[in-house]
Amino acid sequence: MSTSSDVMPAGVSAAGVKGPGNWSLRCLLIGIVFSLLSLFGLLFTTDASDPSRPFLGYMLAVVYWLSILIGMQFLIMLWWMFDAGWSVIIRRQFEHMISALPWLGVLLLPLVIMGLVDTQSGKVAWVWMSMDAPVAGTSGTVADDVLYLHKAPYLNNPFFLLRFFIYFAVWAGLAWAFRTWSFRMDATGDHKYVHRSRVLAAFGLFLSAMATTFASIDWFMTLNYHWFSTMFGVWYFSAAMRAALAAGVLVLFYMGSRTDGLKGIVNSAHYHFMGCLMLAFTVFWAYISFSQYFLIYNANIPEETFWYNIREMNKDGTYNSWWWISMALIFAYFLFPFLYLLWHRNKQGNRLKFIAIWILVFHFIDLYWNIMPQKLWADNEMGYDVRYFTVSWIDVTMFIGVGGIVLWSFLRSASQERPIPIRDPRIKESLNYHE
Amino acid sequence: MSKTYGILALFDTPPAIYEAAKSVRKAGYTKWDVITPCPLHGMDGAMGITRSKVPIFTFIGGFIGFWVGMFIAWYMGAYDYPLIVNGMPYFSPIFPFPVAYEMTILLAAFGTLGGMFVTNRLPMHYHPVMNYDRFERLTDDKFAVIIEAEDALFDMQKTREFLESFGPAEVTVITDEEEAE
Repeated sequence: MSTSSDVMPAGVSAAGVKGPGNWSLRCLLIGIVFSLLSLFGLLFTTDASDPSRPFLGYMLAVVYWLSILIGMQFLIMLWWMFDAGWSVIIRRQFEHMISALPWLGVLLLPLVIMGLVDTQSGKVAWVWMSMDAPVAGTSGTVADDVLYLHKAPYLNNPFFLLRFFIYFAVWAGLAWAFRTWSFRMDATGDHKYVHRSRVLAAFGLFLSAMATTFASIDWFMTLNYHWFSTMFGVWYFSAAMRAALAAGVLVLFYMGSRTDGLKGIVNSAHYHFMGCLMLAFTVFWAYISFSQYFLIYNANIPEETFWYNIREMNKDGTYNSWWWISMALIFAYFLFPFLYLLWHRNKQGNRLKFIAIWILVFHFIDLYWNIMPQKLWADNEMGYDVRYFTVSWIDVTMFIGVGGIVLWSFLRSASQERPIPIRDPRIKESLNYHE
Repeated sequence: MSKTYGILALFDTPPAIYEAAKSVRKAGYTKWDVITPCPLHGMDGAMGITRSKVPIFTFIGGFIGFWVGMFIAWYMGAYDYPLIVNGMPYFSPIFPFPVAYEMTILLAAFGTLGGMFVTNRLPMHYHPVMNYDRFERLTDDKFAVIIEAEDALFDMQKTREFLESFGPAEVTVITDEEEAE
């Protein structure tokens, strides 16, 4: 067994972030209260014109935080795969964050149970789950819909439920393994955990890519199950990476401000490289989002183009609220962060903090845009309405609720383990990293 | 004809050259350089070198590339030979985007390469330091600071004493050979 000697910079406590400012219990309390409030709203509020809106608000908030954690797990695996040295101290922060992955599965479970149990009220946005639900834009029900019947071998309740558990088994299982091995290496200094983590990362990248792709198909794409796009899973991945890097930068700023965290350890080069990755994934997100639009635009098939049509115009061809959101995504979520992050000085300090918050805000709007618009059944000559852009109270309460749970899980893990992996073989490289 | 190009001080170790570079900068010299066989981390800071200007060339190249790509699509599709393809408009910013995007990358790469040549004043086939008899060692295991005679603070006697105060292996005057007329 090969080991490295302890590398303990002054100020790195053995026990992690504790004491004043560690509000893990407050976060947990807020998380539980707001999640229960949202669950109450999901189950007991009714809206005759759009009964499935609370369902989507609840899902949106969970998958927002889920995307951050999935992205962080991807980054952990990428850094293992590339044997990266600079990122070792950042990897530990992400290891704390991904401890929340199993809890997100628990928070999402009510939606799946609701889909299986409640087939009458129309509160479930996955319309294909109830066979006698009317299909918006047609005169029939789901059971008559040839496009549903064709997809039924994949889109059916038992398989959907099985897949749900597989996704979270993959994410939570990988999180458990990477966390446990990294913490054991802190205690024993045994480098076999490095080799194990690297092997697992190779398989884990594949498994997690599959889980992320199919989860986004199951949960978001089937909201309009007539529609199909092979880019959609990659869109969720790219959005997750952007969100994870932005959230990761904010975590670094928080830990970097604490003497029992990373104060004096994290330096300008670490921030600069996180900023470079943010720039890269800004371009990647735009590339994926545009490619999807470009292919559908060129092919010009009604089964695909309707998905963009409802995000642009009303039945009579006038622009609806989604058109403005679309423009905001192009110019404020791609063009502005792209140009901003080109500048070296914008990848440091408050300027980096600003763009990280900016990206996290627009990430939510991007999720709204991709998930929320749906054809709603309506008794008119066109046979459907479009759900417009609105922010309902359940979106906000659930965002706070899930956020509380995630931050509690992060702070709890950060208070139990060291802020840096002191016996990682590349820890010195990371501590002394500079441009 | 030959004239003095500058005074060169030769050092054996990276820390020695690092300290010397910091002192030369502090003394207020502006026309001077450090010659090392390998990149030394932190030397940019010690010499007070600001960030490279190459990204500006990259940006200009990319900017021109994007609009050239869009212009090509507009010129061919909507101006010179309008043709209806797939029921799409003659010109729209959407379908020529890959062209504009590729042109952005291509010209940004050219801009980077050209910018590197311009800011480094390449190609440079002759440099007065090549006249130094131990020039080869500067590409192997020795490190040098050279202060140019054109510097406002340059003084043959004082600059020489200043460089000798760092304890270099040797201090030499470098001459610039001018071509015979």
